[in-house]
Amino acid sequence: MDRVNKRELLIGIAMLGAGLVYLFLTMGLPRKAFIDAAFVPYLLAAGMCVLGALQLLSARRSPEADGDTPAAAKDSADYATVGKTLGLIIGYIALLEWVGFPLATVAYLYLQFIVLTPLSQKVAHGRYLLIAVLASALIYALFRYGFDLMLPAGLLGFIE
Amino acid sequence: MLELLQHGFSAVFSLNIMVLVTLGVAIGIVFGAVPGLTAVMAIALCLPLTFSMGPAAGLSLLVALYIGATSGGLISAILLKIPGTPSSIATTFDGGPMMENGEGAKALGVGVVFSFLGTMFSIAALIFIAPWLAKAALSFGPHEYFGIAIFSLTLIATLSTGSMVKGLFAGVVGFVVSTVGIAPVDAIRRFTFGLPNLNSGFDLLTVLVGMFAISEIIKVAENARHETRATVGGVSMRAIKGFGFSIKELFEQIPNAFRSALIGLGIGILPGIGGGTSNLVAYIAAKKRSKHPEKFGKGCIDGIVAPETANNAGIGGAMIPLLTLGIPGDAVTAILLGGFMIHGIQPGPMLFVSQGELVYTIFAALILATILMLVLEFYGLRIFIKLLAVPKHILLPIIMVLCVVGAFGLSSRIFDVWTIVFFGLLGYGFVKGGIPPAPFIIGFILGPMAETNFRRGLMLSDGSFMGFLTSPISGSFLGLAVAVIVWHLIVVLRGKRSETAEILRA
Repeated sequence: MDRVNKRELLIGIAMLGAGLVYLFLTMGLPRKAFIDAAFVPYLLAAGMCVLGALQLLSARRSPEADGDTPAAAKDSADYATVGKTLGLIIGYIALLEWVGFPLATVAYLYLQFIVLTPLSQKVAHGRYLLIAVLASALIYALFRYGFDLMLPAGLLGFIE
Repeated sequence: MLELLQHGFSAVFSLNIMVLVTLGVAIGIVFGAVPGLTAVMAIALCLPLTFSMGPAAGLSLLVALYIGATSGGLISAILLKIPGTPSSIATTFDGGPMMENGEGAKALGVGVVFSFLGTMFSIAALIFIAPWLAKAALSFGPHEYFGIAIFSLTLIATLSTGSMVKGLFAGVVGFVVSTVGIAPVDAIRRFTFGLPNLNSGFDLLTVLVGMFAISEIIKVAENARHETRATVGGVSMRAIKGFGFSIKELFEQIPNAFRSALIGLGIGILPGIGGGTSNLVAYIAAKKRSKHPEKFGKGCIDGIVAPETANNAGIGGAMIPLLTLGIPGDAVTAILLGGFMIHGIQPGPMLFVSQGELVYTIFAALILATILMLVLEFYGLRIFIKLLAVPKHILLPIIMVLCVVGAFGLSSRIFDVWTIVFFGLLGYGFVKGGIPPAPFIIGFILGPMAETNFRRGLMLSDGSFMGFLTSPISGSFLGLAVAVIVWHLIVVLRGKRSETAEILRA
């Protein structure tokens, strides 16, 4: 119960925090009149702050409802895999332009297959590499030559 | 109208569009059937393929994906007892028991046929209602559009699943994100942080792909390592006659199907709620009106007819506000709106005047896709069953790569690829916080519409706010928006839960 309450409270703090940040940014907009480009952002910032405050209040007031909310279910998420997946996605995009789509995609796919492989199954390195190379080559060729989409070739610039 | 429809059919019966629609329906069915893959993903992935196509071919492919994905959910709902999409939740209630009783083929046959009938009913309603509504909407000005935008925003925020505060917050955040870029009327830069890439704001498609596809991939990563292979029930469609049920049973189901189709159509037209809600409402209504409610949940075809007719009837319903007013009702129609915009088409009443032929080509493509859905789902079932077994740890990374290609293809900018990751993280944050993502998308789309028309409306009425209340249409919609919030507050304060909510919690 306590855990869920804290969770809802944290969500409320995040909502209120986002509202305050947006309000701060809105205050930096130049003003011309009462109804101008900053009017709607002020309304939205106020709305976010009010909703954040309401969320904080509801998290404090309804602890008895917590036990049966979906959020109360035990959080069995594997955050290590989520972290690795996010790291791979960010690394993939960061290298996309420099290394190029074909090579970066092969590396991303191969590593991502390994990271997501269920514990009950063996990591098939050969098969994963083959699928990664084939998928990367097929997607690159399809979009580059079939749909004229200039995906970054990077280190393999000579294939363009 | 008939002439335009005839022109539409002659356009879709060209070889390349026929092939595209067939592929679209097949891919859509796979995305609908595999739990974790969604219609939004299917459309997002195929969007880059349409960049170099003409509008008729591109949009035919997109609507075919929509139809296939909406209907495909029934396959896993019956065979795996896991709904492939939220639109097929209620199908599992009787589909699962029928499968256990050895009536899997009959359950699939009923599901496929009534999906077909539900879709056809809604397309007929779309063809008759949309032109009429578009004609009426031609006289709408800024006041009316502002009223409609506020009403739609309120409705989606309050009716979406979860708490009203979070729903409203999601809608407001969507609106906030849409304020990035050049402001309407004044044309000053807002929240661009000196980045030229932000001058035109965020592209709708990058926001959608991030919120619905990337966040889903991150979410699946949470449990991917502990995933066990689902056992797919085997059914043979060879030995059965026709579609697996008798003509008598078909006629017996007509009142149930008609009621469910009306529920699906009505709910589909409303912004914010679609097949995910209508299938449950139709199931409850069918059970209440049935002469033998005790049979529900034990494997009776009424329990498959109701949800499958209703969820598919939502297709035509959701297309009505999209085509006539440019207002999408849910994430799938929002991404369809993005697809329209890529081809330089702005849905709205003028679309029926300036591009009437294209509108009827879309109608024809919808009809063709529905017929192909019936054929492919019934006769290609064995292939789809095999695809249910494709491992997700292989499929999802490839989908991620295709999302990257789609985002890059919008303007050949790595910036757009970073944008999908940003919104993917935001979408994942929404999932963890129990905040519904659909109001965010509708806020993002309707926000600029509301702000621009608010400013224009004020200019037209010399700065007076009364113009929004004295216009009958705008005043009615604003009044309805207030009524929706008040009604929802009363329901919340009374603490009464709807039957739909109860079923979802079970």
